[in-house]
Amino acid sequence: MAGPAHPEAMAPPKPGRTRTAPPQMPSTWWKTSRIRTYLLFDATGFVYFLIAFLAISLIGDLAASSSANTQPWDAAMARLQNPLYIAFHLLCLVSVIFVAVRFFRLFPKAQPPSIGPIKPPPGSVIHATLYVIWIGITLVMSLALAGVIF
Amino acid sequence: MRALLLKLEPMIWFMFGQGIMIGTMLLTGWILVVGLLVPMGIVDADALSYERAHALATSRLFGFIPIGQLVLAALLVLPLWKAAHHVRSMAIDFGGGERDGLVGSLLYAVAMVGSVVAIIRVVAL
Repeated sequence: MAGPAHPEAMAPPKPGRTRTAPPQMPSTWWKTSRIRTYLLFDATGFVYFLIAFLAISLIGDLAASSSANTQPWDAAMARLQNPLYIAFHLLCLVSVIFVAVRFFRLFPKAQPPSIGPIKPPPGSVIHATLYVIWIGITLVMSLALAGVIF
Repeated sequence: MRALLLKLEPMIWFMFGQGIMIGTMLLTGWILVVGLLVPMGIVDADALSYERAHALATSRLFGFIPIGQLVLAALLVLPLWKAAHHVRSMAIDFGGGERDGLVGSLLYAVAMVGSVVAIIRVVAL
């Protein structure tokens, strides 16, 4: 291979008289449950942005604290008791569960028929394994953060 | 701009994939305890006192693997890339692909800056 292909390599030098119509969202998208679910899956991106930046801010408060001055961390933890933060975290929990359930269902379908000589396990096995790993990680994280283990 | 995004596509998809898979797996327990159970008083607040939170965040596996910081870095960085990619996808669905180069670049820039800030904060622990 001489190098990576130019992304527009297959495009004609000048636009012809007939061109492929660009994909457009149907005006009645809100009536179609599949599109609604698909858009909801995309919309979890906003929630992920917010939860990630909130977590980054929390870790900043942890880094700014010390044994002699725990005020930034204590203030951050006190802030989380605000009902608005609790409501936001409930929305986050619903979002991550929705993303996990939808993505884990999609994951087996996205596997290649084979990787070299190795064939991936049946979809149901992949699906179940993802759930076991997710529940296991959530359990360990939750117990560690709650002070039950470690 | 769009040509650059196309060239970076494998890296963007890798980070998006890890964000949706590992990010989601790590976020569930974090949201449950840090965002809900401790603030609601169901779990004792001492579990996340400064001393304990700092000890957990800086804990080491086998004495040398900074497992606490690695988990935190993944938890903070990966969801940003999942978020950027899905918001970009939504912007294409509603606004078409004409502004995709600009919108996509801006979203990934936010994810990149957020990732750098997150890593600096995790390292500072």
